[in-house]
Amino acid sequence: MREGLGRRTLLSWLILSPLLVVILFPFAVMIVTALKPATEVLSPHWVPSRLAWENFSGMWEATNFGPALLNSVLVSVLSTLLALAVSIPAAYATSHYRFAGRSAFRQFLLVTQMLSPIVLVIGLFKLVVALGLLDRVSSIILVYGAFNVAFTVWMLQSYFATIPKELEEAARMEGASAWQALWRVFLPLAVPAIAVTAIFSFINAWNEFVIALTMLRRQETYTLPIQIFSLVAGRYTVEWHHIMAATFVATIPVAITFAWLQRYLVRGLATGAVK
Amino acid sequence: MSGRGTLRPYLLVAPGFLLSSFIVLWPLMQIGEISTGDVNRFGQVRGFAGLDNYRAVFADPDFWGSARRTLIWTVAVVVGSIATALPVAVILDREFHGRALARTIVMLPWAVSLTMVAIVWRWVLNGESGMLNSALVGLGVIDRNIVWLAEAGTAFPMQILIGVLVTVPFTVTIFLGGLSSIPTDLKEAAMLEGAGATRVFREITLPLMRPFVNIAVVLNTIYVFNSFPIIWVTTQGGPANSTDILVTYLYKLGFRFGKLGEASALSLLMFVVLLAFTILYVRLAMREERGADASSAA
Amino acid sequence: MNRPSLPLLSAALLGASLAVPAQAEDLRVTVAEYSAKTGPYFETVAEAFEAANPDTDIQIEVVPWDVLLQKLTTDISGGANADLSIIGTRWLIDFVEQGIAAPLDEYMSDDFRDSFFPAVLETAKLEGETYGLPIASSARAMFYNEALFEQAGIDGPPDTWDQLVEDAGKIAALGDDIAGFGMQGKEIETDTYFYYAFWAQGGELLEADGSSGLDSDAAIKAATIYKGMIDAGVTQPGVTSYSREDVQNLFKQGKVGMMITAPFLSGQIKDEAPDLQYGIAPIPAGPDGARGTYGVTDSIILFENSEHKELAWRFVEALFGDEQRRAFSSGEGFLPVNQRVAAMPEFADDEDLKAFAEILPDARYAPVIAGWEEVADITSSAIQTIYLGDGEIEATLKEAAGRIDDVLDR
Repeated sequence: MREGLGRRTLLSWLILSPLLVVILFPFAVMIVTALKPATEVLSPHWVPSRLAWENFSGMWEATNFGPALLNSVLVSVLSTLLALAVSIPAAYATSHYRFAGRSAFRQFLLVTQMLSPIVLVIGLFKLVVALGLLDRVSSIILVYGAFNVAFTVWMLQSYFATIPKELEEAARMEGASAWQALWRVFLPLAVPAIAVTAIFSFINAWNEFVIALTMLRRQETYTLPIQIFSLVAGRYTVEWHHIMAATFVATIPVAITFAWLQRYLVRGLATGAVK
Repeated sequence: MSGRGTLRPYLLVAPGFLLSSFIVLWPLMQIGEISTGDVNRFGQVRGFAGLDNYRAVFADPDFWGSARRTLIWTVAVVVGSIATALPVAVILDREFHGRALARTIVMLPWAVSLTMVAIVWRWVLNGESGMLNSALVGLGVIDRNIVWLAEAGTAFPMQILIGVLVTVPFTVTIFLGGLSSIPTDLKEAAMLEGAGATRVFREITLPLMRPFVNIAVVLNTIYVFNSFPIIWVTTQGGPANSTDILVTYLYKLGFRFGKLGEASALSLLMFVVLLAFTILYVRLAMREERGADASSAA
Repeated sequence: MNRPSLPLLSAALLGASLAVPAQAEDLRVTVAEYSAKTGPYFETVAEAFEAANPDTDIQIEVVPWDVLLQKLTTDISGGANADLSIIGTRWLIDFVEQGIAAPLDEYMSDDFRDSFFPAVLETAKLEGETYGLPIASSARAMFYNEALFEQAGIDGPPDTWDQLVEDAGKIAALGDDIAGFGMQGKEIETDTYFYYAFWAQGGELLEADGSSGLDSDAAIKAATIYKGMIDAGVTQPGVTSYSREDVQNLFKQGKVGMMITAPFLSGQIKDEAPDLQYGIAPIPAGPDGARGTYGVTDSIILFENSEHKELAWRFVEALFGDEQRRAFSSGEGFLPVNQRVAAMPEFADDEDLKAFAEILPDARYAPVIAGWEEVADITSSAIQTIYLGDGEIEATLKEAAGRIDDVLDR
């Protein structure tokens, strides 16, 4: 058995390696360029003459990283909470009850994914203006939360479908109310699912760019993607070492959290996802 | 369910439904209004224009070119990512040393925003100072720098490659879910009866994976069809509109040329195309599963 | 649970609102981001203004240049635009035709009006009325690498396009990765890069009858010169993947003999490649002595729907004070639009800026016509097609001119 494992390890890594190399390549470039001194950025050497750690502090100031980071965190966390608040009940309902319009609801959610932000941006803008929320971070939170609902309901509902109803029914038979059964029996089992869904919603919000750019106007409200983009767009010179450093810092914490949670990913997207 | 319970699911679903429909339907109505209106470059509707905007879109040769390329782009990225993700998922499904690390690396592109991925790749593909060229030259694969983004023949395939790379993580996730749902006793029973690994794969695994492949096709098609940052950041749809897909063409139409009426008309057309595709695909591809559906719970 | 009674609550609220002191008057200004210095510069002016004028609150909104038009479009469509905004002057016609920009003549004193270079102020006038105040201006000239010229045994920068082609050939021969003439083939102002040669051949963007000049002999001649250089390997390879910024990067690395761009490159060279020996010369002339440089101005406009026009104008006057103009123009590397500022030693004695200032009076600007963005896009596409060798020069230009004529007719 161990021999088989050893051989499988070798084979697996061998077959995966082309893909892994191509995936890691841009990250390697990112790190190398982030550490190159400003004068060496344009030369395509792989090894910088020295490790220019000052790029990170330089980038921090140039992109107004600190405040932008806080904004991104705020927006991502709050929009995730909003999305979860409405999708947990909705997913519970679609996985536990049969009701007329159930599949229509799911198809509707699929349809909401078909309109890209570029397409909707003017309409969304007018909506936000009509609500009086322009230039408020709350507008973004609302929009992200709402857009993520389709995805979170889909994910949650397929996870929830795997939680056996018998457990809740057993609790009901012992005299618990429906509410108590939900709270004490169902939710604890659902926590991993909710956690994974939360991280996905978080990432979607963390990376979103077009809507934030349209709705926000003051630099102190800008999120990270806008700040980094402004380093590239329309400036007369592009400071690549700063951009790479910024992208790196903006990516790594999220990637690590993602990596840590990825083992939960698999278990839920199974049965029920496809109907 | 008791009589009281029949109202409950609707109440539970209501907030989610209201929130997502509000955020989508309201703008959609705006777009509908603009697309049939005589609208100035600032989105102010000044009159009714009927189907003029739609006619203008169809009359533009750039529209047809972009439409054709969108088809190529979508098919290539979706097929490419599924073809890549399936073997990757199979490999990642079984135990081996360092599997967690391999999984993490495969998932990485998903954690980075598309815009940033595109920005990094644009830098990588640079003719003179790009690291791809220096790597390829260093490895002896090519002897002169290729200026990747200079023309569609080299740029578009690269863009498709990047598209595949960012779509693989999501697809692998779906497939891993699918693979883990295949009961192991089924496979073991087949093996006991003498079937080899490849036969098990072909006759048990693949058919049971079909619903997952289908969902991957539908979702990926929707996301890839509308995907803006990769092409925009690398070539802006150029040179000479030769890498334009519908969504980049839409952006130029609306925000560069100020033709918001046409841009809105195009948005609706794109929406209708995706809707039609989804309905058709679901009907055709998922038909066989309906029978299997009836037997499983929930 | 105790709940405060409703009447009591409303009374309290009413009382609270009455007790609030008079609101500060708000002013919102949309500003295009030219560099990392732009935001801080405007903030400084705003703070000084607020200090001198208590009860005012100036809000500066910085937007990356690339998305400025998109941002303005969505803002205006939602009725949520600022009070003042920087715009590309070439967009002015749409803003005026749709009644978005307010006329400014009634606010300007004669002194104020006369402080501008007349030619520059003209660019922001439509039908005799001023709608914008040029706030940033720049022209284009030729930067050349003195070290490479010396190496190739050339005395000085070329004065005609024929000489340029010859010089470029000699420089390109110096090395595999050396380009004689850096050519832009991508992104914004790709069409402008072509116009430098086009104007030198006597071409006009708009013929007397209002049709496009892109199918004229001058255009064919200019395109032939450029394509010839590409084919001879005298430019950098893969022209269509080089935006202006990319060509500038090559120039800073010392790999380009000549390129045409704006004053801000001088500042960049000082920061990033201080050892580079370079010079600035006017763009070469054609066989008949015709030459043209491209002038660009950005203007600040006042929105017609602004509810704080008086305050806005006072802020504008603060922005155009000599000291502020000096700080802005020198910080960003722009040419001064203000005659008094131009006379300041900082600008008058700067070698590089002098070269630009000399050519500014003859600068040509983008024609003020509706649909110019589309025309520019059609031209850029045609030129890229020619650069790639995907289309025969005369046919491609004629087709593009036809499409431009359609846009112009609309």
